[in-house]
Amino acid sequence: MNAVNPIITIRNVNKFFGNFQALDDVSLSVDPGEKVVVLGPSGSGKSTLLRTINQLEKISSGSIVVDGQEISDPKNDINRIREEVGMVFQSFNLFRHKTVLENLTLAPIKLKKEPEKEAEKRAMALLDKVGMVDKAGSYPVQLSGGQQQRVAIARALAMTPKIMLFDEPTSALDPEMIGEVLEVMVTLAREGMTMVVVTHEMGFAREVGDKVVFMDEGKIVEIAPPDQFFDHPENERTRTFLEQIL
Amino acid sequence: MSKKNVVIEVGDGAAIPDPEDKGLFTAWRISFFGTIAIICYLIIAKPDPYLDIIKFLPDGIMVTFKVTFASIGLALVLGLIAGLGRISKNRFFNLAASTYIEVVRGIPLLVQLFYIYFALGNLIRVPDMVAAIIAMGFCYGAYMGEVFRAGINSIDDGQTEASLSLGFNRSQTMRYVILPQAWRTILPPVGNEFIALLKDTSLVSILAVSDILRRGREFASESFLYFETYTMIALIYLMITLVLSKLLSNMENRLSHYERR
Ligand SMILES: Nc1ncnc2c1ncn2[C@@H]1O[C@H](COP(=O)(O)OP(=O)(O)O)[C@@H](O)[C@H]1O
Ligand SMILES: [Mg+2]
Repeated sequence: MNAVNPIITIRNVNKFFGNFQALDDVSLSVDPGEKVVVLGPSGSGKSTLLRTINQLEKISSGSIVVDGQEISDPKNDINRIREEVGMVFQSFNLFRHKTVLENLTLAPIKLKKEPEKEAEKRAMALLDKVGMVDKAGSYPVQLSGGQQQRVAIARALAMTPKIMLFDEPTSALDPEMIGEVLEVMVTLAREGMTMVVVTHEMGFAREVGDKVVFMDEGKIVEIAPPDQFFDHPENERTRTFLEQIL
Repeated sequence: MSKKNVVIEVGDGAAIPDPEDKGLFTAWRISFFGTIAIICYLIIAKPDPYLDIIKFLPDGIMVTFKVTFASIGLALVLGLIAGLGRISKNRFFNLAASTYIEVVRGIPLLVQLFYIYFALGNLIRVPDMVAAIIAMGFCYGAYMGEVFRAGINSIDDGQTEASLSLGFNRSQTMRYVILPQAWRTILPPVGNEFIALLKDTSLVSILAVSDILRRGREFASESFLYFETYTMIALIYLMITLVLSKLLSNMENRLSHYERR
């Protein structure tokens, strides 16, 4: 046993929308560099769980500690914590009024007070990494979905986060564009980024995941390494789910 | 998900010409060149009295512009505050903004003008023009508030979430992400309000402010040439609003550059 401290610790979290319970006593920890893949049927609370980690959703009860800081503690500055946690959305959400390059430099310049030249240089290096250098001057509407998502990943990386959250990053893409986005994510994983990924891409889950978390009706039903999860699922509901999608 | 096609329909401003309309005979061209032709014809064919009338009006035109620009500036500031208030989760701020908008919208503009003008005049003795500007700005700020609210609401929530997830706080998100995008949706109705306000400044002629209309009335009451004077005044208002609507439509065109594929 090595004794690293988890970089994310979620303890007994409940989340209600009105009377509806979206998260039911959820506990999960993520070690630095670990890749966690979250699976589950639609409406099972995967997005909600992901969004509580950077407090886009406030939890109703329980505790979430990110990089040593309890995020629901008002003494901690949530905006600083969010700088450490990058997020990639299903619908890309690039800033429509900014060019690709400006999408990457906006936050580093305004929040980290990085000099413009410096920020642009780093942004170009990130665009190179995701294969989007030649579109630096384009506006988001001029890009395909796959290109927008690669830029969105680079934009999150521009803040040099310690953790990256992905909420179904390929679900809105045409099938022929899924590969280019997954490729970027695999590269990122190889470089040691801590990642929590909600996805339906089972190939990715198997190849990249250190552990698979299966959710149903707001509960975490099973946590297992990918091989065990896919080949010898323990839970009845997990088995039904896998039969449906595989 | 995407709300980019939202069109805000507000008010009674002059129609802003459609930039897509490429025909030779657009309504704008017919009105604009027609107006210029008639003004030129009148001045050349009947310099007495039309040339005299036109010479008498420039001071008034300047005053009309001053009142218009100052009022619209004030209205934009009040409108932004009221619009932010209307979408704010802070109960007090929200209620204050809503009440301001309700009250202003429920009282005729002319009545408000008199009221604010005389109330201000009695309380703190400000110059006539300043009182008129405050009154106009206060009224139009309420209408602008609704325009800002609609414009801000038209921006997809995903933009806010992306911004927050990068570490921007709420007001930085508003400033760097939402307002710059909302501005494009807001510009057409703001333009309409601007032109409507310019026309409504003719009301301040009642408050001893020497705008175009008041100068015209002075001229008419000395010369008894009512018909000729008001003809010229109508033509001048028309020309100003036509030029402004053209400028606004060009600006709108430029602002939408990032929406083009
Ligand atoms: N803002 C919200 N208000 C009310 N209900 C919500 C809200 N967000 C999510 N839910 C509900 O919570 C449940 C879980 O949603 P979500 O986390 O998006 O599921 P998943 O991502 O697994 O498809 C769903 O039933 C959804 O309708
Ligand atoms: Mg989801």
